[in-house]
Amino acid sequence: MVASLAVLLAASGCSVAGADPIGGGPDTLRIVLPEEPPTLEPCDASLTATGRVTRANITEALTEREPSTGRLEPALATKWTRDSATSWTFTLREGVTFHDGSPFTAAAAAFSVKRATDSGIDCNVDGYIFADSELTATPVDDTTLRVTTAKPDPILPLRLSFVEIVPTSTDPDSRVREPVGTGPYRIDEWNQGRYLRLKRFPGYWGKSPDFAAATYVWRAEGSVRAAMVTNNEADVAIGLAPEDGAGDRAVEFATNEVSYLRMDATKPPLDDIRVRQAVNYAIDREGLVTAVFAGRPTGQLVAKGVTGHNPRVRPWPYAPERARGLVAEARADGVRTDITLTIIGRNGIYPKAAEAMEVVQDGLIKAGLKVRIKMLDVNAWLEYLLRPFPAGDTGPTLLQAQHGNQAGDAAFTMAQIYGSEGAQSSYGTDALDTLIERAQLASGGKRQKAFADAFAHQNDKVVRDAVMANMTGLLALSPKVRYRPDPSTNDEMRLADMRRAD
Amino acid sequence: MLTLLRRRAVSSVIPLLVVVLGVFFLARLTGDPANLYLPLSATPEMRAEFAARNGLDDPLISQFGDYLAQVAHLDFGESLRTAQPAGEAVLRAFPATLQLAGWTMLLAIVGAVVIGSLAAYRPNSATDRIASFLSSTAASVPDFWIAIMGVLVFAVTLGWLPTSGTSGAAAWVLPVATLLIRPFGVLVQVVRGAMVSALSAPYVKVARAKGASEPRVVFGHALRNAAAPALTVAGDLAVGLVNGAVVVETIFGWPGIGKLMIDSVLQRDFAVLQAAVLLTALAIFALNILVDLCHGLLDPRVRQRAAA
Repeated sequence: MVASLAVLLAASGCSVAGADPIGGGPDTLRIVLPEEPPTLEPCDASLTATGRVTRANITEALTEREPSTGRLEPALATKWTRDSATSWTFTLREGVTFHDGSPFTAAAAAFSVKRATDSGIDCNVDGYIFADSELTATPVDDTTLRVTTAKPDPILPLRLSFVEIVPTSTDPDSRVREPVGTGPYRIDEWNQGRYLRLKRFPGYWGKSPDFAAATYVWRAEGSVRAAMVTNNEADVAIGLAPEDGAGDRAVEFATNEVSYLRMDATKPPLDDIRVRQAVNYAIDREGLVTAVFAGRPTGQLVAKGVTGHNPRVRPWPYAPERARGLVAEARADGVRTDITLTIIGRNGIYPKAAEAMEVVQDGLIKAGLKVRIKMLDVNAWLEYLLRPFPAGDTGPTLLQAQHGNQAGDAAFTMAQIYGSEGAQSSYGTDALDTLIERAQLASGGKRQKAFADAFAHQNDKVVRDAVMANMTGLLALSPKVRYRPDPSTNDEMRLADMRRAD
Repeated sequence: MLTLLRRRAVSSVIPLLVVVLGVFFLARLTGDPANLYLPLSATPEMRAEFAARNGLDDPLISQFGDYLAQVAHLDFGESLRTAQPAGEAVLRAFPATLQLAGWTMLLAIVGAVVIGSLAAYRPNSATDRIASFLSSTAASVPDFWIAIMGVLVFAVTLGWLPTSGTSGAAAWVLPVATLLIRPFGVLVQVVRGAMVSALSAPYVKVARAKGASEPRVVFGHALRNAAAPALTVAGDLAVGLVNGAVVVETIFGWPGIGKLMIDSVLQRDFAVLQAAVLLTALAIFALNILVDLCHGLLDPRVRQRAAA
């Protein structure tokens, strides 16, 4: 037996242990992620695991949204104008080269738009950003690009901040794992399953970043990621929870993720607005963010900085007496408050997901409702999140959910979550649908106001959700690095923003 | 011997088919991968396209038929996650797990033979009691807890070892130790039990009377007879390492088949999951056959039965 094992070992040949990939001296930034990027395909950059490595590091877009202000800034396009309701002209930056030495031109921009939105690749960006809108990009000359849309689209330049620009030599019909881009870093070596190394691109058009190279590794366990920073094996660890033990190396930051409970307002007793208001009053949001997860109580699904965020929509106060009163009032009017509500939870949706739902359950029971909890894994939970909802009678449900608007405009929240026909919507009203449609066609200040009104209307008149908190993210930094995370850090982690501390 | 081998190979085909069939259908019962691979805002048309492109819109039976035909040509399909051939991903991950499991079993067996024999040599002595206590503890400690504690103690607090990863010899210590602890604990007890009865057998008395040296008596005569039950258990434990590998590889970032399997389950990456399970099942069958062969070498009665 022993001998045969020795033979097995010898036969297994290539060794797992190699040179230390995550070393590389003081010029290398070492980053530990929760998961390996499945691919670096630029048109899947809206996938968090891919985008956090690709976007603004390897590839760039025509425009770039400043996460803290929400303003749209020039990137590979220096300016843009709206010629008509359905046509835009982009002036492109000159003197930009791709990592393979080829020049960036309007032809490459047009090619990239077509590849991401109208090819057989099934790009994630297409589904996430463009859904069913049609657009055509045409090079006018080397530095001018015209983009036309089938329907008027006031936020087209924002949408294009998700289209990563690749050279025309990129395969147009299938995914590429290792793309060529114009970004400050290029791919050096990807040893699958082990590490991914990027190195500084000397021909970059902008300011050269501080670190000569960046090595990414991945560990599924948060406490191990945190330990890697305290143990000086990594400089940046992301996706941490407070209990992961990053100690004084931890940095907190506001994310664009908002946790909420979606109420199934089509079934009694949740079809009565008083019961839905009671649910909101019965949740101790302050208690949740002090004792269960990190965040700040909020009353709407989009965070500050997203177009449409309404500063006047406040988080619901914790008022157990009012909650009890509303339930009693509904019961007196014949509402079936004795029907058991089911909280459909999702394990790991955020730290201590199950405990959070227990806190909610406790509040609702005190308000006079009957509540049970069903915690599911992500796939089973998705069946409840998305239409068509599971057949069979689960009774009235409260769905534990979380929404992160990474695009920066309420259009990416409203219709799909609050529209009567939205993919993630359990209930809507005609009045709210009208407000959403109006907002989607507006631009500038009118757009901000129209979406803000829609959020206020949802909160006052519809009350379909119990919005809980704008979640706080946590990462750990080694003494070597200065970095200020922003709300989009989880989706786009710009290496150029990471500075040497010495 | 060859008869035995042939017979075992033939009798392995049916369970292998059951495994392939089971994984194929169970994986598909767990939900639509489109929910994971398409944005939440995807239109019904996009979903339909996704299903068509990945052959998920055919009836399950014809999907399975297509799959079997593919596998017959050694084509294991494409990963939904990475758009790479599933077979490649599995073959890339397999050696890492094989080495981890190989070193683990080697150390577990050698350690258990030494410690189990020492404990059995003087039953109920202090050595025996300590060995028994430690081994039963080791056999029942959850590997997840051991792994995290190992990182906290040896990497974070003492700074002796890296937390995780695969670079350098030191990176092997925690994963191997974590994976080792359960099989080691069980084997010590098995070896001890078998050695206690072997050492009191008549042939040991005869050997001693003939003046054979004590180590020769223990590690030559007695161990040879105690090896058979230990080997059977070691084979089962090696199969059980698949479970341990999932935990250990996930925590330590070890790029093996356990991690690949759990990722492909969570990500509904059917092709990779099927290929990983198929290869693992093959490896387990091969291991079982190997154990039987060793049995035959150790125990003439097995050889006679096989030849009969």
